[in-house]
Amino acid sequence: MVPASYYILLSGLLFTLGVVGVLTRRNALVIFMSVELMLNSANLALVTFAMTRQDVAGQIVVFFVIVVAAAEVAVGLALLVAIFRTKHTTDVDEIRALNG
Amino acid sequence: MDWIIWLIPAFPFLGFLLNALVVRRERDAGILASVMVGLSFIATIVAMVLLEQAPAEAKRLTWTLWEWIAVADFRVAFGLLFDPLTAVMALLITGVGGLIHIYSIGYIHGDVRPVRFFAFMNLFVFAMLMLVMADNLLLLFLGWEGVGLCSFLLIGHYFDRRSVPPGINPSDAAVKAFVVNRIGDAAMLAALFAIFTNFGTLSFYDNPQLGIGGYLDQAFVVAGETVDLGAFGRLPLIAGITLLMLVAVAGKSAQLPLYTWLPDAMAGPTPVSALIHAATMVTSGVYLIVRNHTLFEQPASAAPWVLVIGVMTAFIGATAAVAQLDIKRVLAYSTVSQLGYMVAAVGMGAYVAGMYHLLTHGLFKALLFLAAGSVIHGCGGQQDMRRMGGLRDSMPATFRLYLIGALALSGIFPLAGFWSKDEIIAHAWFAARSPLAAILLILTSAITAFYMGRQIGMVFFGRPRDPALHAHESGSTMRWPMIALAGGAIIGGLINFPGLHWLNSYLRPVLQEPEVIYTLGMGVLATITTLVSAGTGYLGWKTYARDLEPRIRISKDDPAFRYLGDLWRGMEIGWGLDWLYQRVFVRPYRAASIFLSQVVDREGIDGVLVDGTAHGLTRLARGLRLLQTGYVRTYALMFLVGVIIVVAFFTLRG
Repeated sequence: MVPASYYILLSGLLFTLGVVGVLTRRNALVIFMSVELMLNSANLALVTFAMTRQDVAGQIVVFFVIVVAAAEVAVGLALLVAIFRTKHTTDVDEIRALNG
Repeated sequence: MDWIIWLIPAFPFLGFLLNALVVRRERDAGILASVMVGLSFIATIVAMVLLEQAPAEAKRLTWTLWEWIAVADFRVAFGLLFDPLTAVMALLITGVGGLIHIYSIGYIHGDVRPVRFFAFMNLFVFAMLMLVMADNLLLLFLGWEGVGLCSFLLIGHYFDRRSVPPGINPSDAAVKAFVVNRIGDAAMLAALFAIFTNFGTLSFYDNPQLGIGGYLDQAFVVAGETVDLGAFGRLPLIAGITLLMLVAVAGKSAQLPLYTWLPDAMAGPTPVSALIHAATMVTSGVYLIVRNHTLFEQPASAAPWVLVIGVMTAFIGATAAVAQLDIKRVLAYSTVSQLGYMVAAVGMGAYVAGMYHLLTHGLFKALLFLAAGSVIHGCGGQQDMRRMGGLRDSMPATFRLYLIGALALSGIFPLAGFWSKDEIIAHAWFAARSPLAAILLILTSAITAFYMGRQIGMVFFGRPRDPALHAHESGSTMRWPMIALAGGAIIGGLINFPGLHWLNSYLRPVLQEPEVIYTLGMGVLATITTLVSAGTGYLGWKTYARDLEPRIRISKDDPAFRYLGDLWRGMEIGWGLDWLYQRVFVRPYRAASIFLSQVVDREGIDGVLVDGTAHGLTRLARGLRLLQTGYVRTYALMFLVGVIIVVAFFTLRG
């Protein structure tokens, strides 16, 4: 059996990739995907702990996260479409109306 | 029926309210104001009739409307008092005041602010009546401040006018009068405090309606008390109170060393000068002393100082009047000088003589001012005597009226001034036994005649010096009040004619002054005074109508300047008191003000505190703005850093 620490390492790796993706990519869609990556890395960590502790609560939380992530994607993509229609771009560097 | 005395001040106050709030047309304002003062005059007569019926031992009418202030022992009635002393003052105020109001209808015609003018004139009459009718010192003080306020408002009637230097702007003159009076008023307040703390009341006499005691009847109670002045030793209490009152009198009645505001007050319209700065307001100091005569009669009182101040003011004012070139400034200094006579009279205990001169002076000085106003009106606002000359032909009626006033002022037999002035001089010589005061007063009388002769000569005789001047006679609304006053100036001496002593016996319930016993010496003294005055008057006239007349030049110094030089210049500037005050008080004060406003306020409070706070916050905000880049990435990074910090915190804490 693969040790739990491998899962946790993979989860951390995925999370870091997600963070780097959010911070470095300019396309909003890619940033979105990176956020999803971060969510799923967390899911991975949760199921890992559920397995090692023999506790079903962690798996239940993962389902919650998946549901919330689906809802978030729906809202996020709707925002993305709305932004594209008004700004004709999905480049987040172009969208900086809050510049002080 | 005694409530009727409230009608006397109520009418002018009603006139003020209507003029201030309702009336818009010039004509309505003038008629309303005059009618209100006229009604007040009638009410005064009615009150005098009622007063006649009062029992001899309590010859006074009182009526208290309500208790004004009641704090522990401090009780003040809002009540009026009408006794013979008040009666003669009220008669003068409403009588002469009424005539001046009628005159003003003609004088102020076509003015920019006629309704305002009449409203304030009515307010002045009201305040003046409150001053003389108050039954306690605090209500008197209300009137005292009220007349000061009206004086300020009316001197500044032409507040938008700028005058050519060295003339003073009306607005500045108004402020000066107000500020100089503040000194006297502060002393007055201090006197009020001293009287209350030592007598426990501010009422002059017992107030039967409220049961408040009076302080005048118990003046002797504190006769022996003294006040500790620290290093300056101990001062008798009575001396302290009367000295404070003397300062108040010096302010209001334009005595040394505070008289400087009065000549400048001439920047106001001439009827104002006649009413406020000659006949009534400036005499309120004399009234104050006469009303408080029981204090001044105490052995320790400051009465000798009152005499000294009065005599010096009379003399110095008269000398300054000689060298004036403005027709009204001559009369202003003359008023200072005549007020000096009155103050000197009350200072030596000749209260009846002081009141006598107050009344006659009110008549003839009002006449002189109104006639001067007629000259100024006829000359299109010109007040410079060098530009006049020969006005006798173009203004014959005004000339005759002016002459009557001038003769009365100079004390020429048998006009009003002769009787009242000589009574004061006689009192100084025989009763007060002060030959120095008497001689100074006689000299003053001689100088008075000289400057009036000079003025008549310069204004009405000689050649017309200014071709641009088209003098014309004034209308009948202005002439009739002057004729009435001229009648008063001629027969005014009857008020206290030797042998009849009407004024003396009328005022006896208040003053208890014995009748003057006339001696041959007094006759001789009066004859000498009159002859000297007639001589100097003729000299003044002859000099300025004949001898020096050809050398009077427009915008040049008076011809006498060549002979007297600096002495003349000193007289011209009123002996330099203004110059002195300018250097000692005004300039340091102004420098301090500029320092406080420019350095302390603008740099310190404005710059450091107010603007400094704002600038600091702006700079801080400018720095914080940099955090707000608008890049989503930045926010996400901050988010991450925040998370790392929180996680690190909990991890490292263990």
